[in-house]
Amino acid sequence: MTSRREIRARKAFWNRIAYHGVGIGTAFFFLAPFLVGFLASFRSNSENGQPPLPPWPTAGISIDAYRALDGFGSGVWQHTVNSLIVSLGTVVLTVVVSVLAGYGFSRYRFPLKNVLFVLIIATLMIPFQSILTPLFIILAKLGLNNSLFGLMLIYVTLQLPFSVFMMRNAFDAVPKEIEEAARIDGARDLKLLVRVLMPLVMPGVATVSIFAFLNAWNEFLAALVLLSSNENYTLPVLMTAVRAGRLGAINWGAVQAGVTVMVVPCLFVFLLLQRYYMRGLMAGAVK
Amino acid sequence: MTSLARPTSLTLSDVRKSYGSLAVIHGVDLTIGEGEFVVFVGPSGCGKSTLLRMIAGLEEVTDGEVAIKGRDVTDLDPSDRGIAMVFQSYALYPHMTVRDNLAFGLKMSRTAATEIDRRVAQAASILKIEHLLDRRPGQLSGGQRQRVAIGRAIVRKPDVFLFDEPLSNLDAELRVSMRIEIARLHRDLGNTMIYVTHDQTEAMTLADRIVILRDGRIEQVGTPRQVYEDPANTFVAGFIGSPRMNLLDGVWSKGRIRIGEVLLPAPMLQNDRSEGAPLKFGIRPEHIEIAVSGEDGLPAIVEFTEYLGGTCYVYCRLAEGQSVTIESRGDKQPAGGDRITLVFPAARSFVFDDNGMRMR
Repeated sequence: MTSRREIRARKAFWNRIAYHGVGIGTAFFFLAPFLVGFLASFRSNSENGQPPLPPWPTAGISIDAYRALDGFGSGVWQHTVNSLIVSLGTVVLTVVVSVLAGYGFSRYRFPLKNVLFVLIIATLMIPFQSILTPLFIILAKLGLNNSLFGLMLIYVTLQLPFSVFMMRNAFDAVPKEIEEAARIDGARDLKLLVRVLMPLVMPGVATVSIFAFLNAWNEFLAALVLLSSNENYTLPVLMTAVRAGRLGAINWGAVQAGVTVMVVPCLFVFLLLQRYYMRGLMAGAVK
Repeated sequence: MTSLARPTSLTLSDVRKSYGSLAVIHGVDLTIGEGEFVVFVGPSGCGKSTLLRMIAGLEEVTDGEVAIKGRDVTDLDPSDRGIAMVFQSYALYPHMTVRDNLAFGLKMSRTAATEIDRRVAQAASILKIEHLLDRRPGQLSGGQRQRVAIGRAIVRKPDVFLFDEPLSNLDAELRVSMRIEIARLHRDLGNTMIYVTHDQTEAMTLADRIVILRDGRIEQVGTPRQVYEDPANTFVAGFIGSPRMNLLDGVWSKGRIRIGEVLLPAPMLQNDRSEGAPLKFGIRPEHIEIAVSGEDGLPAIVEFTEYLGGTCYVYCRLAEGQSVTIESRGDKQPAGGDRITLVFPAARSFVFDDNGMRMR
């Protein structure tokens, strides 16, 4: 006769198998595209045009695809730097503006506060493609067309409604007493914001940063319209140029290599910020 | 008053606060002596916290003047007033260790590092939190957090300590021990302390003087004994003391008080009232006794009783419908439905006019 203890142990064992099995299966579906792309980028030139299965290189690992990618435009390194400048610039500007705006909306009382806030949020409903032409004209008038800084400003503008909303919520979640205690302790204005409040709204800042980075990094249309000279292209524009290839033939290897290159910074940014993104720093502040 | 014997620590002169057209503090005048422990008490929404926050500089003063040690601080920044505040929610900085929490204010005022270490160590030893210095607030229990919050106030060496319901978030047992600790702290440090609470036990036990507030006005200021034994009006009489003082409707009748059909002896009053003037007759539950046999008194019917171990609350109803609470310590407790007679010494009773003001 099996004891209840054994029955329980066996039940727990099968439960664990089912739990992890489902988890691994789900993870596979999410990871497979990355894996396929990554492996395919190491196929040789001759193998490139072959059917995609099996996805891994069968005739030895080669970096032909990366060489081909680097042959386009001003070299992949130059375009990666362009993309990084625009994306990181967007992150910094977005965070600075949205932290200040979020703090203002959360803590100060001023006339038409809620109307203004709703107006800012309402701009989320405007498809940005529809304002691309006016934006282009404005940038041209400012002498900022075909400049990475101009593109950065556009991205910041597009990113702000969501970010301000996010930061206002983050500041709303910080108890007023903490701020008051800091004021009694003698922290004022910027010092108060940087030394006391910033660490408390870090989850919000991380979220805003991740979104700003990913959106700026992956954005295509505005970059295509606003950047006219080859050496200013960001990676998404370069990738389209790569895909269009020569005489209609698509160099799939270079495309896979480009995808691999583009994924790396996104992963890096996410891993860097995810501990703030996940962590509830507020625990223990009050009560 | 005790404050007259010592130098002045804090003065409020005609302090007012209004939000737009809504006035919440209507001209408060108060002088607090050096080293005094003053408790602001009142029902919720009476403005006690607002008044404390005005002293702290967290709320703007609409009109009037706040002076600390003779210095007008009405328009100064909170950090320049020589105050420290302990909040109900502790308001510790969650991203800093206990040590950094304590040191933060000193760092902000650019105190030398050695001096910071010395003061933090001193505060930690007073509050017995030395072993917690490297932890974060999230790893502490409620009582420990409140100690840290108090420590943060101590290191600032303030002229005036402000406590905003500091014990309300603690459980009953911890509240009692922290209350004793705060009393000990006051004895050891000797600073002026202002303490806001709605808990009258805290008010009575801690205070040198109690300030009772209602709707943004001071109703009475006095030692715990004064406000308990000599209330200025029906509000103070009903607010201080638990269970509440019995306030019975009656009329003045030839130097005596008539409640329903019964004539009661009145306490000594200096001014006579007109015949038939309505008044309130107050008597505390613990001063009422149940007549043993044939004494004159108020006849009543027992509705129900609450047994609390040492004492017993007896809830009764008078013949004409007014309810009376008795705190009975006798061995023999009445049961529901019993007819009893209530007797009490006239000197223990209070008489209030129909505006609620005490008649003396």
